Amino acid sequence: MSATKVVTEPAPVRERRPPDPRWRWAGLALLLAAAVYAPFQLVPFHVFQLTMVLVYAVALLGLNLLVGHAGQISLGHGAFFAVGAYSGAILLDRWDLPYPLTLPVAAGVAFVLGLALGVPAMRLRGLYLALVTLAIAIFLVPLLKRFEAVTGGSMGLTLAKPAPPGWSGLAEDQWLYFLTLIVTVAAFLLAAGLLRSRVGRALHALRDNETAAEVMGVRLSFYKTLAFAWSAMFAGAAGCVYTWVIGFVSPDSFTVNLSITLLAGLVVGGLGSLSGPVLGGLFVMFVPSISQDVNDAAPGVIFGLLIIVVMYVAPTGLAGLAARLAGRLVKKIPRKE
Amino acid sequence: MSDLVVADLVAGYGDARVLHGVSFTVREGEVCAILGPNGAGKTTLLRALSGVVRVRGTVTLGGTTLAGRSPDTIARHGVAHVPEGRGTFMPLTVEENLRLGAYVRRGGAEVEEDLGRIYTYFPVLKTRLKQAAGSLSGGEQQMLALGRALMLRPRLLLLDEPSLGLAPLVTRELFRIVQAINAEERTTVVVVEQNAHLALGIAQQAHVLETGRIVLSGTAAEIRADEQVAQSYLGYRV
Repeated sequence: MSATKVVTEPAPVRERRPPDPRWRWAGLALLLAAAVYAPFQLVPFHVFQLTMVLVYAVALLGLNLLVGHAGQISLGHGAFFAVGAYSGAILLDRWDLPYPLTLPVAAGVAFVLGLALGVPAMRLRGLYLALVTLAIAIFLVPLLKRFEAVTGGSMGLTLAKPAPPGWSGLAEDQWLYFLTLIVTVAAFLLAAGLLRSRVGRALHALRDNETAAEVMGVRLSFYKTLAFAWSAMFAGAAGCVYTWVIGFVSPDSFTVNLSITLLAGLVVGGLGSLSGPVLGGLFVMFVPSISQDVNDAAPGVIFGLLIIVVMYVAPTGLAGLAARLAGRLVKKIPRKE
Repeated sequence: MSDLVVADLVAGYGDARVLHGVSFTVREGEVCAILGPNGAGKTTLLRALSGVVRVRGTVTLGGTTLAGRSPDTIARHGVAHVPEGRGTFMPLTVEENLRLGAYVRRGGAEVEEDLGRIYTYFPVLKTRLKQAAGSLSGGEQQMLALGRALMLRPRLLLLDEPSLGLAPLVTRELFRIVQAINAEERTTVVVVEQNAHLALGIAQQAHVLETGRIVLSGTAAEIRADEQVAQSYLGYRV
């Protein structure tokens, strides 16, 4: 009769032990040390490239808050980036504001605009929201060209880059890099703090199940609008730093393409993780130029193919892939009990 | 006195009206069972009470008007809704799910204390705190949903089909806990249930809902003794 024995024992659950948090801190410290050391070892052009990676990382951090954590979508984040960039540029150009002051103003302007554009997010979702945000990105370029007196029209605005102070002994590219690094670290600390709090839990709740979040007292309209505003604020800050670094803004730098590249970069980097935006920043910075090198005629094709390949190999983005690989590595190191 | 009073409640989705004037009262600390066939409007009734669907009519809890208010405001007034299908936040950990339940209470020592209380009701949750809620079994998820609702310290607990998709043994355990909660915390409970036998087992009052109207009301014993109900919902004659 043993043949009819029914197996009722549930399969033992394989406990996925989370890696020791000390590894994470060690990794972060190492990364920061490398980030501080790097500009002294690289040629100026590479330092500039690295600076741009950080700029994009800050913008993606904002987009990640909205898409990865609050579960909304935006195909128009290039517009917030542009608003930050232009705010910074106009303040420098017209009012000769000291450049550190341009950052909070640019972030503030983007925040307010994000708040206003977050209103449709209260009623629309999914594809409909995507379309509205896409429209914002589309009409921004003609708008910038139209108000030529302030924005410089299609010619754009050319500005002096922040000069390194004498005491620092740094070259211009290195100074710009460190400015950007400071903004990036501050932005990451801010976002991490936000996500750990009650507010972060509320965002996750509305992403995962709106009805359940609502009946627990999470005010959906409030958090959706706020997610848009914060996310725009980060993008605006990134835009302002972009202006410092490039010293030039023109409407053609902020086409719809930028918005789409940002979203693609975020998805490839990894939605909803803190390292995703950095990896996404690398992607946004380097992949278009690499695809240009591979095939001069059709960089778009290579870019698209790379996105497909990454999504196939790492559906949770590069951050997910990296976490898996790191997990395997850490497992090999014997654990002290 | 914190009675739930519902009068002439009308609710629906768009043009489709589901509830056509429902009236009943639940006294503070009592368990009320809502029975009825599929499509009678049981789930809609709970959604109307928690503000997820728009309503006309009267809903008051302890004299405070709830009808016409937003779900988050109603939650702030101490109404916890365990939605159909549990509403688990799958990617979040068990602990995060529970803490979200106390969302309107802004943390503090009381919340930590309540977490401890939840673990005594549901010891299994304590062993799974850092685990993604989506990896729990159906029964565990239902316990999590119930625990999460309790974190609100509700005056009124709305339970939508707690037995859905669960093994009979798990269901019985769950109802035992609901009864314990009702007895110890004096929480008023409105439970919608297909399993009339179990629901009547813990309820004092019961109402039978059919196509958006209450067709029969009474004490749990009366409803259980009703021949019509016995045939339709209990599956046996008394």
